[in-house]
This record gives sequence, structure tokens and C-alpha cells, in this order.
Amino acid sequence: MDLKTEQKINDDLLRPLRHPSGWFYLLVAVLGTSLLMGVGSWLYQMSNGLVVAGLRWPVFWAVYITNFVFWIGISHAGKLISAILLLVNATWRRPVTRCAEVITVFALMIGALFPIIHLGRPWLFFWLIPYPSERQIWPNLRSPLAWDFFAISTYLTGSTLFLLLPIIPDCALMRDQMTGWRRRIYGVLALGWQGTTKQWHRLEAAMQVMAIAIVPVAVSVHTIVSFDFSMSPVPMWHSTVFGPYFVAGAIFSGIAALIVAMAVLRKALHLEEYLHPVHFQNLGKLLLLMSLLWGYFTFAERLTTWYGNAPAEMAVFWETQTGSYAPLFWTMVFCNFVIPFPILAIKRLRTITGCVIASSTIVAGMWLERFLIVVPSLARKNLPYTWSYYRPQPVEIMITIATFAAMVLLYTLFSKAVPIISIWELKVGGHAQPLLTAEEEEEQRALWRVRP
Amino acid sequence: MKAIYGLYSNPDSAQRAVNELRRQGVPDGSITVITSQPYEEYEFSRRYKQTWIFWIAAGGGALGLTGGLTLAYLTETLWPIVTGGMPIVAWWPNIIIMFELTMLGSILATVVSLMVTTELPTMRSHVYDAEVSQGKIMVAVEEPVDEDVAKLERTFRTSGIQEIKRVV
Amino acid sequence: MTHRWGMAVDLDRCTGCEACVTACRTENNIRIAGPEQSAKGRSIAWIRVERYYEGEFPDVRVKFRPVMCQHCDAAPCEPVCPTYASHHTEEGLNAQVYNRCIGTRYCANACPYNVRFFNFGNPVWDRPLELSLNPDVSVREVGVVEKCTFCVQRITAVKDQAKAENREVKDGEIKPACVQSCPTSALVFGDLNDPENEVSRLSRSSRGTKLLGDLGTLPKVTYLQKVL
Repeated sequence: MDLKTEQKINDDLLRPLRHPSGWFYLLVAVLGTSLLMGVGSWLYQMSNGLVVAGLRWPVFWAVYITNFVFWIGISHAGKLISAILLLVNATWRRPVTRCAEVITVFALMIGALFPIIHLGRPWLFFWLIPYPSERQIWPNLRSPLAWDFFAISTYLTGSTLFLLLPIIPDCALMRDQMTGWRRRIYGVLALGWQGTTKQWHRLEAAMQVMAIAIVPVAVSVHTIVSFDFSMSPVPMWHSTVFGPYFVAGAIFSGIAALIVAMAVLRKALHLEEYLHPVHFQNLGKLLLLMSLLWGYFTFAERLTTWYGNAPAEMAVFWETQTGSYAPLFWTMVFCNFVIPFPILAIKRLRTITGCVIASSTIVAGMWLERFLIVVPSLARKNLPYTWSYYRPQPVEIMITIATFAAMVLLYTLFSKAVPIISIWELKVGGHAQPLLTAEEEEEQRALWRVRP
Repeated sequence: MKAIYGLYSNPDSAQRAVNELRRQGVPDGSITVITSQPYEEYEFSRRYKQTWIFWIAAGGGALGLTGGLTLAYLTETLWPIVTGGMPIVAWWPNIIIMFELTMLGSILATVVSLMVTTELPTMRSHVYDAEVSQGKIMVAVEEPVDEDVAKLERTFRTSGIQEIKRVV
Repeated sequence: MTHRWGMAVDLDRCTGCEACVTACRTENNIRIAGPEQSAKGRSIAWIRVERYYEGEFPDVRVKFRPVMCQHCDAAPCEPVCPTYASHHTEEGLNAQVYNRCIGTRYCANACPYNVRFFNFGNPVWDRPLELSLNPDVSVREVGVVEKCTFCVQRITAVKDQAKAENREVKDGEIKPACVQSCPTSALVFGDLNDPENEVSRLSRSSRGTKLLGDLGTLPKVTYLQKVL
């Protein structure tokens, strides 16, 4: 591409960083207030105990654990887009990768907060960290919560590094293009990046390896989160399908969150020339696939339960199908399947607006799905004398809203500090086919050979 | 002087410059090409160079695996507490810990080797020009012999460049 | 010889009087929830008497079942605790270490008998009820999980006494608060390792069943009832 286009790309993608609009400050003020209210709610809860929450015997896990699973699920956006699409060389992913990775990192950070928020004695959360204490007692590695710690730490480390490494060349670009205090900061963050062929080669090789490594980690993270449920004999938790069910649901909600984020960014930062309808079309098709997969898993799980007819499980089953949780259950099915399916399946409806509508309902539906996994099973456990109910209290609602606000706030601040579309990756997308070595030529000839 | 370089506005002329320099006898190690994005379709990107990174990542993974094994075994045998009738060293859950630490080991090994081989973060000043971020491609010869400077200048010019800069 | 503490509950003798519930509460410093918090499900009862009604009026039969921690040999609450607060002692008790509990409540969810309780708030005893606190039992602070311990303070006290007197613990010498207060002797406690003990004989009775035994938790409380 010629120099004028290159400079135009630079200017377009750096404009949000240089000139934040009035809306930005307003948005930060509103979100910041919500976040502060959430923090205040949490402090109130810590000083009074969980008596202020809606938890009760025997429903000991509710909205906080729902949020935990939900946000860890959202964090699977990055895995699919950045990692899997990179490994299969889907070039249309280039403008989308950083959007997705940012969702992953921030959703993970928020999700990882919830195991601390829901603790009875949160000031002792560090006992989950394996460190040599003076009494030489370590965490119980048989507990799925200990596995959570390892899995989430590994995934967070991997995702953060996967996000930060490609930012280094963009920091070098910003160091050159910006002025004043921004120039100094980006100069430090660029770590002295030059852009020699050796550096590019190493960076791209490292990204390949990390993409290969991060996919199994992401699968394991949500599987381990699902093990928090399936490793206990609670009716309809003790299901072998939970691992794949949760991973599929995670990718499902992750793509939906990504589509919403992309659509908002496109409008707010005037990125219409970089995020095209084709991106939404392709992601919409993936979302349709995940919606079908989610529907398949839900159906398979419920059919097996119904055929099994175990009394304890059927109590939970009927409670969600026709009982007090039925309105939530059928809303969830509507949001996750009935509404998105025609929108995403019919090409004429799979526009940017259509995809955003489908994605918004899916995000809401997936939150409901997590809630319906956690609460009905605890409210209808093995002994009928212990059956109960759950009502969320203002503290829990406030903290939930605050985490959504925190996510949007972090995302907004990030998009003002770092270009939300990876500039160098976008420019590479405009190049022709890579030059091949002799072995690679041979390999290509073999791959495309016509057998007699 | 430290380096003499030319800035090219398109990769074709940059490739011509590199070829010319090679025919001149400048060793490959002295030619530095600096770009604002990786150019995989041109030979000057030296894409074909072998990389050990997969082996390094595997090595890091092996380290992580042994770390996980050690952590699980040692911590479980330090205070042998019975939980749920499970054995003191329970292998099924330990596999999960070992897996996570394996992946962490390979990820960290990759990042560390990346930082080392790309010499980041660096305090030394290298040859660089801010115009590279506008899309220009810089072809530089580092530490040229004084007599060759004029010859190098001519080579740069014939490849289609008006501007040649020196770094002293 | 190591002990293996177990219990037998004779449902044909239980009248549902809940003396066991009251005695346990007093012995173990169980906090008072008050009417408002009890309505919100925050009251704690280490032993509870479950009441089930069968049949239609006037042929109604009431079944009473005292449920306390079953001290399962394959307890689902133990492997899930991330800090080893819930673990199995050598004498077969499921121990809850309050100091180590950070309140994840995973154990409380995993327990199929729902015998684990969470301290939603700090305990409060209106005066002069604080005078009735048992000095042998700790008071749990907010955020920890608690449950029946088979009155481990009484077990330890009797064992110490027996050791001091250089003799074995006698059958029936250890009486947890619920066992002590039951007017019909429906609750029996003892060492399952001694086959001649009353509790061992009752565990082998043909009237004996285990609560939710099909879940594989291996509970050590045997419920006796005539089925026919």
C-alpha cells in the first residue's frame, strides 16, 4: 500500500487517542460512579457479613457465582478470535484481534474478583495461593477451587502477554507519531522496539506458539470452572457433560460480547472503514454455530435427565421446566436460541444491527443460563425438608451492575490509551501472499496435487 | 560512523537496494532492514530463518510439568490429611495442576526467549528513523568502513532514493 | 485400639420432641438468629428434626427424622474444601477447622444432607444469654462454616479422663448433648470398632438403613425403622 494510505490508517486509528470527545468524559463519569457504588456495596458487605446478601440455607451460592462463571465465559472471546483464527490463517480476523483480546483480559480480571467477593472471610483469600507458610500447610489440590486458582492465573498470564506483545510495535509507532507527554510514555512502553526483520520474525513466531498454547488453557479454564459444580453430588450438577457444555457456552457468550463491543466501537470511534459488515457476517455465522451447539448440549443434558427419572434430579428438572424457575428458563431459551437463530441464519437479517440484537439477547440469556445452573439445584437438593428459594438483594444487584460498568469503563479507557485495532496487523492484511522457501514451495505443490 | 541508511517508500525498491548491497559484497549481518510492519512477501524479511522457539516452549513446558509434579507431591505429603476417602497423593486432580503449570511454563518460556532474542527492553540506542512509522522502509548498513561510504551512497541512490542519511 | 465414632438413631422411638436440638444448641454455642433472620433462612441447627407428613386427614402419619452430620467415610464435603478446613480425622470424625475456613461454602453445597451451616453475620447473644456459653467450645466468627462435631469436646474429655485413669473408654460413657438429652434413648453413640458396643449392634440390625446411602457417601449414622 502506498504511503498516503499508511498515514491515513495511522491517523484514523490514532484519532481516538489524540482527541477524546466530550462523550468520553461523560461516559467515564457515569461508569465511574456506578463502579464506586459497587465498591461501596462490597465494603458494606465485608463489614456486615454476607447477611446482607440474599443467600440462605441451603442456597449458599447464587448471583456472585453466576457472575463468576459468566465473566470467565465472556473471556473466551479472545481465545476463538485471536488464537484459533490465527492458527487457521483466517485473515479477516486482523482488525478484530485486539478488540477480542481486550475483552478476554478484562473479563478475566473481573471474573477472578468474584471468588473473593463471595468469600465469607475475603481477607483470607490468599490462602488459596500455594505459598510456603510458616505452618507448612498448603492449599488442598483436590479441590476444584484450587484448580480454579491455577487455571485462571495461567489463563490471565497467557492472555495478558498475548495482548501486550503485539502492542509493542504499536507503541513504537505512537512514540513516533505523537507529541509531548504521550510521546515520552509510549517511548518507554515501546521498550526500544526497532522493527528489524529479526524482531518481526521472532514476534510472529512467539505469537504462533502462544496461540497454540492458549487454546488448551482456555478450554481447561472453563472446564475447571464447570468442575466446581460437577465434582459435588448435587442433583443436576453432577453431570459429565458439564465440561464441554460450559466451554461451548463460554465461546458462545464470548463471541456475542465481541460483536456488541465491535459494533459500539465502530460507531463511537468512526471505524466504519476498518470494521466491515463482512466481519459481523463471519462472526454472526460462528455465533449461529455456537447457538446450535448450545441448544444441542442443553437438549442432550435435559433428555438424559428426563430418561433417568432419578427423583432428586427430576425435582430440579421440573422446577426449571414448569415450576418457579420456568419463566427464567423459557426466557433463556428464547434469548439464546429462538431469537438469534432466524436473525443469524437468514442472510438478509444478518446485518450489523441484526447481529447486535442477537448478541445482546444472547449475553442476557447466557447470564440467565448460569443463574439457572447454580440456584435451582441448590434450592431443590436431595432432602425435601431442605427445599428453599432465593431472592437477590440490593447489594448483589449493585455489585453485578458495577462489574458491567467496570468492564465498559476499562474497555473505554483502554481504547483511549492503545489503538483498539492493531495497526501493524491491519497493514499486514493489505499485503500479498507470503514469499515461500524451496521447502514450502514443495509442500504447497504436494498439498494442491491432483491425484491420478 | 555507526550507520548509513536510505529510506524507501515502497518495498520493491527496498528489495532492489538489498540485492545491490549484497552484490557489492556487504555481508548479510551488516544489512539491517527496518519496517513498520512485517513484509512476508519479500525476501528481505528473511522469513525462512530457523527458529528454536518451539523447542524453547516445549522445554518451558517440561519445566512446568516437573514443577507441577513436585508441587503436588510435596505439598500433599507434607501434611498427610485424609479428605473424602481419597488417597493422600491423588493423581487425577494432580494431573490438572500439572497441566496448568506445563502450559504456564511454555508460555513464560516463549515470552522470555522473545524478550531475549529481540533484545527488548533495550537502553542502547540503535539505528532508527521516525519516518519508518509513516510507512517508509529503512535499509541500513551498520558500522561501514570509511572508504566504502561513497560506494554505499551510490548504491542507495541507484535503487531509487533521494535521501540518504548517516548516523554518526 | 483406634476408635471409630458412629451413631444409631431409632426412628421408631423418636417422638419429635426436639430436646436434642435444644441441647445441641446450648452445648455448642450456636448463635441465635432471631425471627427475622430465621425467616430468611439464616438460623443454624447442627441437629434438626425433619418432619414429613404421610396420608390425608384423618389418616395422617407424621415421620420424624433427626438429621445431623453423618461423618461420612467418603464425605463429599472434604475434598472440595480448598484450605483443608474440612477433613477426616483418624477416629473417623469429619472435622471442621474454623480457623482455616475462608467461607467458600463449597462444602455446604456438596453435602447432600445439608448439615453444614454458614455464619452470615457475627454471633450475638442478648444479655444474659452470654452467661450460658460453653467454655469448652469455641464461638465461631462471621464467614465460617460450622456443623455437628459429635460433641468432640466431650469425646476428648472422656478420652483424657480414661487415659488419666489408665483404662479404656467404656461403652456409653461418651454422650454427645443430643444423646444425653433424648428422653426415649432414640440416639445412641459409641465406638463402631468395638463389635459388642450397643451402637455396633444397632448398626448391624435388620431395621438399619443409611440416609441417602445410594450416593456413596458411606455415612456412619444408622437409622433404624421397622419397614412393614
